[in-house]
Amino acid sequence: MDFQGIHDHLRAIEAPGLVRADEPRLPNPEDKKDKGRSGDAYVVVEAAQLASFLRVCRDDERLAFEILADLTAADPAKDAEEFWVIVQLLSVQHRHRLAIKALVPKASARIPSATGVYRAAQWHERECAEMFGIEFVGHPDPRNILLPDDWEGYPLRKDYVFPTEYRGISCQ
Amino acid sequence: MATEHKPSITFHPEPRQLPGGEREYMMDVRTGDLEVNMGPQHPATHGVMKILIRTDGEMVTAAQPHLGFLHRCAEKIGENVEWLQYLPYTDRYDYLSSMNNNLGYSMAVEKLLGVEIPRRAEMIRTICAELNRIASALVAFGTYGLDLGAFTPFLYAFREREWLLQIFEKACGARLTYSYLRIGGLFNDVPPGWLEEVAHFCDVFEEKWQEYYDLLMVNHIFVKRTADIGVITKEQALDFGLTGPMLRGSGVDFDLRRDLPYMLYGEAHDAGAWKVVVGRGEKGTLGDCWDRIYVRVAEMMQSVGIVRWCLANIEEGPVLGDIAKTLKVPEGEAYVGIENPRGELGHYAVSDGGKVAVRCRVRGPSFCNLAILEDIMPGTLLGDAVAIIGSTDVVIGETDR
Repeated sequence: MDFQGIHDHLRAIEAPGLVRADEPRLPNPEDKKDKGRSGDAYVVVEAAQLASFLRVCRDDERLAFEILADLTAADPAKDAEEFWVIVQLLSVQHRHRLAIKALVPKASARIPSATGVYRAAQWHERECAEMFGIEFVGHPDPRNILLPDDWEGYPLRKDYVFPTEYRGISCQ
Repeated sequence: MATEHKPSITFHPEPRQLPGGEREYMMDVRTGDLEVNMGPQHPATHGVMKILIRTDGEMVTAAQPHLGFLHRCAEKIGENVEWLQYLPYTDRYDYLSSMNNNLGYSMAVEKLLGVEIPRRAEMIRTICAELNRIASALVAFGTYGLDLGAFTPFLYAFREREWLLQIFEKACGARLTYSYLRIGGLFNDVPPGWLEEVAHFCDVFEEKWQEYYDLLMVNHIFVKRTADIGVITKEQALDFGLTGPMLRGSGVDFDLRRDLPYMLYGEAHDAGAWKVVVGRGEKGTLGDCWDRIYVRVAEMMQSVGIVRWCLANIEEGPVLGDIAKTLKVPEGEAYVGIENPRGELGHYAVSDGGKVAVRCRVRGPSFCNLAILEDIMPGTLLGDAVAIIGSTDVVIGETDR
């Protein structure tokens, strides 16, 4: 199925937490400030419902997303109110993909863990947690994965300040 | 009070009588949990990675990979350099398949830009990506033999790999970190005579490939060490998000090049130039170490098929699309997953319309494939640990990025 078909089907089965679809659009010639958006289409999902939404995507026969290809986050800007958590699903059976975005407020960055649905999420969520400081509620093993255990701060946040030294090693 | 010294191995005082009249001395070996650090410097981890293994005698009861020794902040660097300046960093995550990494990143940015790639550039890109896949599979095959104690295949594999590296050197001047495929096409056209040399390589390689197969893949000792070892079921493979040869080794018929085609792979497949190789459990259980290495070895010949098809269909023309010197990428976000030699390499790029990315995410296939070790290693023998780790074919540059 193409994106439109997947979105219509998600609407039809009333997938939990589905908010809206965001599709790329061309620039508006009348409004010079509106430069459009390029790239992929994605669906926006309520953060609190992300795990249940993924379960539906995996178990529904016409969607059948067996593989969680990627789970990551992004900090769109320093003054943004929310982080994005982005999930890329892949269906081997139907050969289609779906991008999912959930908005997590920076003030209380918490989101239910998807490890109960896809075990592939386990390492991605650990990486996400240490890089952005997002808490994945219900994660079975929430240790740092790439960074040292005593690393301070969340490096991929836009307001991250680079350290000058780490354990006596100069980082300048 | 002196503590009593207990030896860990004791002999039974009385030998046991066997039916034939022989006597057998029994050794009472007491076992207990022992935690062993395999790595960070261990030849079988193919880089700096540590696997904490808990053993009970010869049995592995738990395994936990520890990563991050080679973490170089690639994603953070991507948010601090211009789009084109980031290209050389892509070389360095899976340094055995730099051409494919360049391609994945370029395709993600091109998707945001919406530019057309000239057909000649696509052809040469496909040739380079596939030759690089062969070079990468040769390392996987050679070092896997080395892990299991077979030294000769490694030397054979590196002989052909050396030729491939020279071919790459002629095209772009680098042997390992190419930065040759760039956003919009290629940095330069290939030199005269290059395509003929590639064709010659394909002819020679076809003969050599049979040698590899006979030398290692059907070798009795090798089969004994890999068949029925480290079995990954189809369900496990999907649940852990395995991709590439790891997924196909478990019997899942899926290849991004055919099923979500990009560049010219779909066209080449329709023309019958190649087909997807899937593990069949030929020497043991479906999804064992043998199947995974078989997929990698058999895919080399499919890559030769793709290269030959490209050579037959290549046309003259430009190799770089309409691309500005300083790239300004329109606002938006794109995810592009391509079939790397190790699985799906995903690039997720976010732009706010500026010269620098807002987010430059890399989904490394080795990272995802490695996670399954925690699940398949418990219950195996310690001696098989190297066979299982080797069969995942990780490149640490990519797990840590």
